Amino acid sequence: MTPLTAHKLLWRVVLSLIVLIGVAGSCSLVGSERVNLLQVLKGPLADSVNTDYEILVHIRLPRIAAAGMIGAALAVSGVVFQALLRNPLADPYILGISSGAALGAVIALSFGLSATAAWGSPIGLAAFVGAVITVWAVFGIASAAGRRHPATLLLAGVVVNAFLSAVILFLTSVAQGAKLQATVFWLMGNLNNAAVGGGPILAVIAVALVVVLTILMRLSGALNILSFSPEEAQTVGVNPRRTHCIAFACAALITALAVSVSGLIGFVGLIVPHTVRLLLGPDHRQLIPLSAVVGAAFLILADTVARVVVAPAQLPVGIVTALIGGPFFLLLLLRPSNLTRGISL
Amino acid sequence: MTAIQVENLTYSYPRNPVLRDLSFTVAPGTLLAILGPNGSGKTTLLHLLAGLLTPQFGSIRIADHALASLSVSRRAQTFSFVRQEYLPAFDFTVYETVMMGRTVRLGPFGFESPADRLAANKALRDTDTLDLADRRLDQLSSGQRQRVFIARALTQDTPILLLDEPTAFLDLRHQLAIFDLLSELKAKSAKTLLLVTHDLNLAAQYADTILYLGHNQSSFIGPVSEAMDEHRIEFFFGVRGFSGRFGSRPFFIPSSHRENNSPPPEFISH
Repeated sequence: MTPLTAHKLLWRVVLSLIVLIGVAGSCSLVGSERVNLLQVLKGPLADSVNTDYEILVHIRLPRIAAAGMIGAALAVSGVVFQALLRNPLADPYILGISSGAALGAVIALSFGLSATAAWGSPIGLAAFVGAVITVWAVFGIASAAGRRHPATLLLAGVVVNAFLSAVILFLTSVAQGAKLQATVFWLMGNLNNAAVGGGPILAVIAVALVVVLTILMRLSGALNILSFSPEEAQTVGVNPRRTHCIAFACAALITALAVSVSGLIGFVGLIVPHTVRLLLGPDHRQLIPLSAVVGAAFLILADTVARVVVAPAQLPVGIVTALIGGPFFLLLLLRPSNLTRGISL
Repeated sequence: MTAIQVENLTYSYPRNPVLRDLSFTVAPGTLLAILGPNGSGKTTLLHLLAGLLTPQFGSIRIADHALASLSVSRRAQTFSFVRQEYLPAFDFTVYETVMMGRTVRLGPFGFESPADRLAANKALRDTDTLDLADRRLDQLSSGQRQRVFIARALTQDTPILLLDEPTAFLDLRHQLAIFDLLSELKAKSAKTLLLVTHDLNLAAQYADTILYLGHNQSSFIGPVSEAMDEHRIEFFFGVRGFSGRFGSRPFFIPSSHRENNSPPPEFISH
């Protein structure tokens, strides 16, 4: 019997962080321009422009940081929504965050606002507001409809998503040329804006992520017993309603932040939690921190592919996550049973 | 001193009254068996006692504290609850499941102390599930799973245990094993046990007191010998049969439904 101890978890987190740093480091050296590390180390030059330094520090690293944090945010909210809705098919977008954000962005775009800067831009702000309003409305509808049963909440989310998608389709169908392309590109998700917008927005996401991760890890025992049922949770001393509200708010906040920066990046919130669960089990004390790290590494890799394969053009990273993630996840599902979970580190 | 005191308890679902003016007390260190036909409110009563439902009228006192005044975590240290079989959304192992009984006692990030591990191991041993510790819940038979949930309740280490049909899916040997375990807990650790069951004879064999809940909000509470009266059983369950004694042990044999209107079978009545 090998129960999870704090010591063992710490080792696993440290190991996965080392892997993450390795991934981030190697991905920063990959791209359409070749970067010379020795040249970078000279730092900003007094007399001329150090191109290698500029590319690495001001273009690639912010983008990698954005990818890592958004990947972590999406993976962790996937974990939370799956636990609270007690449904393995739940993803960060299930309660209408995606369509709400998209509607906000599409409205802003159709008013002709530009999508260049990340959060300084009205697009990101509109997306964030749309996401928060929608998830709040879905929660309100489900509560008004009766008990906060997972099925009620899911149904409300699905219906609101479908309705808002129709509104979005309507708006895009009347949009013209350039606006249409900007909208479609935003909907597919990409990390270009985050990198260009740079500093302030990344700092906001970083702070939010640290706070939310700390809160969620303190709730991890409660999330474990909540995946049995709220009644079970209450009889072992967990206040199910309080846990629900806090965890939902945390997950919704980081998803809304992520979406407002990057648009809709699918699949991360679904496959990363499931992959970690399949390998190491469903214990949230471990699932939350490791999903964050794996989600970060996965999106950094996917975004590097998106930057490189059709360089100098770029693919929307959402396409890459789905193309890599889908088959990989199916392979994991088809694994010989019990082969994976026994792994001990 | 009473472990549980229920007064004038009344609860109805919309259009469906189940409990009315129910009053009873349970002495510490005794086993109360709750029996009655389907839909008579047995599970509702357990949910009220566990604080999962709030009574519309009446009061529940647990160890001289009003239940309503206890916090969720105080409740979790006062009674544990074994519900009818329930599978979680994800594949937790037996050990992980049993450890969740310690949730209120765990550290801030949910890690267990040696004392927690000791409690879990003891509960696994007591319920004969130690060798299943690494198995996933969905790989167990429903009987094994039921024992795991009892182990989780034991890990919670509470003076009162509420059990909703703990032997529902078990074979005869494991039914007896569970009842033996429960009466051992009662004798050694002075636990107070309330359990819902459909098995009159096992209830008669192990319970100190029997509570019948019937349709139309009728109820009866009393010692086993009075509860096993065949007229009383007929009143509550609508089933005729024969009550007798084997040595000092009362038992009841129902007659088949077809024979309901014919005279009782030719047993030597007690």
